[in-house]
Amino acid sequence: MDGFRVVRRQTPPGWVSFAVLPAALLIALVFCSLLLMIQDKSPVKAAVVLFQGGFGSLYALQDTMLKAIPIFLCSLGVSVAFRMKVWNIGAEGQFALGGVGATWAVLTFSGLPMPLMLCLMLLCAAVAGGLWGLIPGYLRLKFGLNEIISTLMLNYIGIEFMRYLVYGPWKDPGSMGFPMTGLFPEEAVFPEVLGYVHAGLLVCVVAAVAVYVFLQRTRLGFELCVSGENPRAARYARIPYGFLLMFVLALSGALAGMAGCVEVSATFNRLQPNLCTGYGYTAIVVAWLSRLRTPSIALFSVFVAGLLVGTDNLQVDMQVPAAFGGILEGFILLCVLAGQFFHSYTLVRMGRRQGGAA
Amino acid sequence: MTWDIFVALLAATVLAGTPLLYATMGELITERSGVLNLGVEGMMIMGAFFAFIVEYKTGNPWLATLAAGLGAACIGFLHGVVCLVFQGNQTVSGLALTIFGVGLSDYLGAPFIGQKTVGFQSFDIPLLSDIPVLGPVFFQHDPLVYLSFVLPWVVMWFFRRTSLGLALCAAGEAPEAVRAAGLNPVRMRWLGICAGAFFVGVGGAYLSLCATHLWTHNLTAGKGWIAVALVIFAFWRPRRALLGAYLFGGIMALQLRMQALGTAIPSSLMMMLPYALTILALLVSSARGKGRSAPAALGENIAPGA
Amino acid sequence: MRFFNCAAAFLAVCGMALLPFASSASAEDAAKNVKVGFIYVSPVGDEGWSWMHDQGRKMMEELPGVETAMMESVPEGPDAERAIKNMCSKGYNVIVATSFGYMDPMAKLARRHPDITFLHCSGYKHSDNMTCYFGRIYEARYLTGMVAGAMTKTNEIGYVAAFPIPEVVRGINAFTLGVRSVNPEAKVRVVWTRTWYSPDDEKKAAEGLLDVGVDVIVQHQNSAGPQVAAEERGAYSVGYNTDMSSAAPKAHLVAAVWDWKKFYEKFINEYRAGTWKNGNYWYGLSDGIVDISAYGDMVPADVRAKVDAAKASIVNGTYKVFSGPVKDQEGKERVPAGQVAPDEMLLSMDWFVEGVIGTAR
Repeated sequence: MDGFRVVRRQTPPGWVSFAVLPAALLIALVFCSLLLMIQDKSPVKAAVVLFQGGFGSLYALQDTMLKAIPIFLCSLGVSVAFRMKVWNIGAEGQFALGGVGATWAVLTFSGLPMPLMLCLMLLCAAVAGGLWGLIPGYLRLKFGLNEIISTLMLNYIGIEFMRYLVYGPWKDPGSMGFPMTGLFPEEAVFPEVLGYVHAGLLVCVVAAVAVYVFLQRTRLGFELCVSGENPRAARYARIPYGFLLMFVLALSGALAGMAGCVEVSATFNRLQPNLCTGYGYTAIVVAWLSRLRTPSIALFSVFVAGLLVGTDNLQVDMQVPAAFGGILEGFILLCVLAGQFFHSYTLVRMGRRQGGAA
Repeated sequence: MTWDIFVALLAATVLAGTPLLYATMGELITERSGVLNLGVEGMMIMGAFFAFIVEYKTGNPWLATLAAGLGAACIGFLHGVVCLVFQGNQTVSGLALTIFGVGLSDYLGAPFIGQKTVGFQSFDIPLLSDIPVLGPVFFQHDPLVYLSFVLPWVVMWFFRRTSLGLALCAAGEAPEAVRAAGLNPVRMRWLGICAGAFFVGVGGAYLSLCATHLWTHNLTAGKGWIAVALVIFAFWRPRRALLGAYLFGGIMALQLRMQALGTAIPSSLMMMLPYALTILALLVSSARGKGRSAPAALGENIAPGA
Repeated sequence: MRFFNCAAAFLAVCGMALLPFASSASAEDAAKNVKVGFIYVSPVGDEGWSWMHDQGRKMMEELPGVETAMMESVPEGPDAERAIKNMCSKGYNVIVATSFGYMDPMAKLARRHPDITFLHCSGYKHSDNMTCYFGRIYEARYLTGMVAGAMTKTNEIGYVAAFPIPEVVRGINAFTLGVRSVNPEAKVRVVWTRTWYSPDDEKKAAEGLLDVGVDVIVQHQNSAGPQVAAEERGAYSVGYNTDMSSAAPKAHLVAAVWDWKKFYEKFINEYRAGTWKNGNYWYGLSDGIVDISAYGDMVPADVRAKVDAAKASIVNGTYKVFSGPVKDQEGKERVPAGQVAPDEMLLSMDWFVEGVIGTAR
């Protein structure tokens, strides 16, 4: 960069937070507009249609919320692990196992009253997802196996395991031979609480508060953040790293598992082989966009969910191929990611020294 | 299993392993320079698309392969912009790159889906192809397969014997030391990203020019992600990457042949096999103390203006 | 600082949400137009399942007073529900969904929107305003099996199949019955790819089969990958969905094909005339919605004659594919002699007939 020098900021000024995100979005939108113009489609109309589809009506907002719920839960889980610099990219598999756990609860304990049933399902899902998260933790402690590879492989294995159950032992005899369990009884389905947004929203709220309090107010949460920021200091402070690692992955998996439970119960009403549609990966992106902060995760989950929902509209109204959503999502993320640079750095013209930028 | 089937299985292993080998080698180069790029899937499918479109317009498979490499390098370049210039998180940038690349290839490639390519044809290498077993397994394929045989050794030579290669690896281990030696570690990482992406793109080209001879969506079908895993499996060593790619390709090929011969194992369990065995193989080798840790500075950005 | 971040994100979202209200005056002409929306599970360009249905949509689009839209790559489950809901809210009169996993959400929304006609392909739920329709492709499969059985020299045929669900299992069984009606010694080996569409994986599966000695490749997949594998190895192939002979000119014996355009033509005409009745339709060879393609040059005249005769007897109803005795892999009699398998049995088929090597799971 000729003429400019990069200088680290001590504290970013307020305007940066306001300016960076819209600016990054604008750049992404301009790029995507160019792509649309290649196909002779009006980018302005596309933007209108897109945001109308995601946020423009009460229906759209409810749809967006429905999609945001699993993304939020997975993202919350992933963010806890990322805080400790544990690269859990296995939310997708833990999500699948959560669905398996919840379904097991439904198939095993029938006839319980609804609140008990739902709590039991959540518990089983959290345990199943948590155990699936523990495996990479154990492998890393015992064998030094990198968690990126083990969580990635366990995604494939978890999803295939879920499919094995649905195609085999758990296949409902009444489903005409199709691979799926029977419809869940009424007491095992999360009720609708806000319009047609289901009670998974409450799970999100409870989980968010719990994680927030845990990270901010408990000793373990504090130790976790310290181990992430400075492992060496953590060792001197005698923080039990191994225990924390296992704990973090279990918590991370449990949250993704609960997302799986909510999804199976409230939106599918049964276990189906196509349970996983990539929420686990979207969650990672959301976690990072929100810089691992719980309140921002909520906002970005809704934002990304709205984007995904809005792309549907783009297809119906303007016949823009489905792939466009991916381009938009990917490019926005790249731009926002690059834009976050200005949170911690600033450009200074060469020769004009600024004080305080040591 | 008869002998013939066994030999055919080995030949199929080499074919299934080749795109994985290119992609793994590319990601390995990138990671050795200290940059984690999870966008392999996105770059690979863009490579496959560039290879197809150039082959479609010019009919020259070599030019197409070059275009695939350069095109994928352009996508990888975005990763460099985000991570090397703007200090973005490498894990997320890579994920975004995959989402972006897969979307872009679908969008640009939609009008051409189902179009065929002539691509590379397989030819037997004289003399060598007549050797029993080794001939059909290694020497009756297409040119990109033959090139992949020497790739690990070339990369190893580059890492160990050239000053550029040594500097590149040093940028992944101790960027400060590189700077102290008067070199720019960021430039080494640019090289790592772009050269790595080039080979990932060639892996994609193999899919559209050799394996299927056509363009379609979802051509990579998750192979890029496997490559990410195989780099770790290989402990960042080029020759072990060869082993990993063939092992994985071999299990895939074996799984299909076990089904064809008639097995009672449900197909879901068969599909788990390659992934479970990859973890198992890793465990065995790390239990025997053969593991090697990641490049020390992998995934950490070099702060500007230091 | 955290507050600023959240506030910034929130403002960005709000700002964009408000955008549409500024210019949401899209002119809606309330003429007696029929709006038909299609929802597909895969991209249309794949020349397979979705592509064939989209031919029907394009045909409708040509008609005066008919407006169509489509959504591709809609995952089954909640996304499908949203997609259907989206079309309901946009005033579509007819909504067509062509994948099995769309059935539950569609049935749910059909109850909520009694004035909209729903068409669902490949499921079993139907109601006053929801039709389920499908084709007896297994009848065409039986005929292609006869061709394959006559042409195989090793008496081993390889079947590349997607997922172990009744539709696919039924096709494999019918095919095998066809094979063994002309060649009782022949066996059919099955490999599951666990994907509907992945040319590379499908081709590799076919190569695996060819390695163990089959000389005819059949597929229940959407790409031509298996055809190409057969062509490259000098084996024969049987196509699916459309005439796949262009992918494998030297290998292609015959294909079991769909003609969905016929169905959509019939539907739209009856719908506009007000005579369309919702219900459960399972169209066979006699309706022309399933058929077999032209034979490859290598198929000898006597085989053609035999298959054509069988086709005629299926079309005029004198022959049913699953006529007893039908035994399963273990030799257990599933359909006794003199009886015909009922549709319920066909719809939920999860066992292989005698002569299939592989597992139906």
